[in-house]
Amino acid sequence: MAEASWLTKFPQMDHSQLLSIRKTLDSAYRDFSRSYGDAIEAFFDPLLYFLVWLEKLLLSSPWWAVILAVTALAYAASRSWKLSLGVVAAFLAIGYFGMWDNTMRTMSIITVCTLISIVLGIPIGILMARSDRARSVITPVLDVMQTMPAFVYLIPVVMLLGIGKIPGVIAVVIYAIPPVIRLTNLGIRLVDREVLEAAVAYGANGWQRLFGVQLPLAMPTIMAGINQTIMMALAMVVIASMIGVKGLGQPVLKSITNQYFTMGLFNGLAIVALAIIFDRVSQAYAKRSQRHMEGIKSA
Amino acid sequence: MLLATSISAFTAESCGKVTIADMNWNSASVMANIDRFILQQGYGCDAELIPGDTMPTSTSMTEKGEPDIAPELWSNSTKEALDKGVAEKRLRYAGKSLADGGEEGFWVPKYLVDKDPSIATIAGVVANAKLFKNPEDPDRSAFYGCPAGWACQISAGNLFKALKLEEAGFELIDPGSGAGLSGSIARAYERRKPWFGYYWAPTAILGKYQMVKVDFGTGIDEAHYIDCISKEDCEKPRVTMYPPSPVHTVTTEDFATKAPQAYDYLTRRAFKNNQMNQLLAWMEENQADGEVAMEHFLRNYESIWTPWVSAAVAAKIKKGLSNL
Repeated sequence: MAEASWLTKFPQMDHSQLLSIRKTLDSAYRDFSRSYGDAIEAFFDPLLYFLVWLEKLLLSSPWWAVILAVTALAYAASRSWKLSLGVVAAFLAIGYFGMWDNTMRTMSIITVCTLISIVLGIPIGILMARSDRARSVITPVLDVMQTMPAFVYLIPVVMLLGIGKIPGVIAVVIYAIPPVIRLTNLGIRLVDREVLEAAVAYGANGWQRLFGVQLPLAMPTIMAGINQTIMMALAMVVIASMIGVKGLGQPVLKSITNQYFTMGLFNGLAIVALAIIFDRVSQAYAKRSQRHMEGIKSA
Repeated sequence: MLLATSISAFTAESCGKVTIADMNWNSASVMANIDRFILQQGYGCDAELIPGDTMPTSTSMTEKGEPDIAPELWSNSTKEALDKGVAEKRLRYAGKSLADGGEEGFWVPKYLVDKDPSIATIAGVVANAKLFKNPEDPDRSAFYGCPAGWACQISAGNLFKALKLEEAGFELIDPGSGAGLSGSIARAYERRKPWFGYYWAPTAILGKYQMVKVDFGTGIDEAHYIDCISKEDCEKPRVTMYPPSPVHTVTTEDFATKAPQAYDYLTRRAFKNNQMNQLLAWMEENQADGEVAMEHFLRNYESIWTPWVSAAVAAKIKKGLSNL
């Protein structure tokens, strides 16, 4: 019976062997965090200072100044009075329902996460578009980042960096950066080969082709990627608050565990409102930049 | 005794399908697995584990009558809902699953107390507030509270107020989840850093990392704790240590009437804290899940579990165990 048991039962690793692997890796990670934790924390300190500064700035500014600034940004990006009025209305409602402070906290961390994602994501996307080998390495990494359950890597990160903003930013960026990378890559790869040939014929060098032809033509696709990144960053707000990030996620967690449905709905809607504002503004900006390009084309 | 066993043999047929909440922490999970095995082997129930957590499980049990059994419910955390369920004859407190009750408190790592014994008292912690650095605000100290939405968030918040920790320069940090809170302890402990916050026992964390419960110097004022500290609208919280927290096995009324023999076992199934800590430490050591720990427990701690069941049932369980 023993000889043929592998036919009926999967010949799995011996339990004690598996256990020793798990224990070895765990204690290796603990040793790593013990010896390098402080140094890695110090590396992230500037980012932490910036996050704390931005949050304090948003929290200590008078509410009308914040609304004014955000509305001005929205108008500058979209040139639409309707959208700007919508932004004002959304923020007034958020403030009226007593969610102002948490919304400011969430807005500050999401803004930073989106900026980090864009600053890191677009160059990686460009790299991916230029080299097939880079693409074949990066694609599976992006798949892992998007599907790995967040707590699998969050708790090790918490052991390394403690709870709070930095692990929160790491979690959000890991989840939110893939769309901008993927769509930057896609946008550049979709640029017409003949347009590129024409650029070469005019004597454009590599940089000129990239910044003068490929990136502008890929812009609508890249903007779609940035949009998705913003949406996914906001979707991670609740997960981030599970490792101590202050903001709209905390009341959501509280309402989930206590079944305060209305409180959950209000805070959830505030997250949605932020998402819609971020999305509409960046989309309007993208459309404007696209129209501007169409103008050049038809001219 | 004879009569009891013959009844149990008779009722075994009618036990039927039983669902047991497998909570996502170790002590509850091992109890759920033990219950499943004993109900299956000893009482002929068609027992099944389903994932659970304190709030969703207790709500679902009162509202939907499902699952049938919650093996480890910290009943203070949903006291009103549970009492209502009992009053409306939907639920029953079968018994205490942790005989000594749960132990809550504000803790500091033992290595801090070894260095400076005064830190074992709240006055010492306040005097050394600067030790407990807050990473996000250099001017304030960090007190790790209870995750958002848990019942202990209210009690820890009220005690934070009563102890005037805010005036002492502490910020109440919401760790967001149990995993976040235990992660922050693990980080501090691995690097021998100061840590001050709320935690509870029996847990794997307190089995693994030696922590000292900070003495408030007031003793336990249970009446005040129940009337004020555990209530959200407590206006004038006074300092008190945590009274032992009752930890119950809760079943649905349906199950209790349908399978009285199995219910009877649940009324007797109880762990002492030191037994549970020992079991949790073994689980931690071996990274065992509830199922593996169940087998370890049933094989090695016969003297603990045999009194919970009749001799005939115990024999059936042992037979089932030898077939594993």
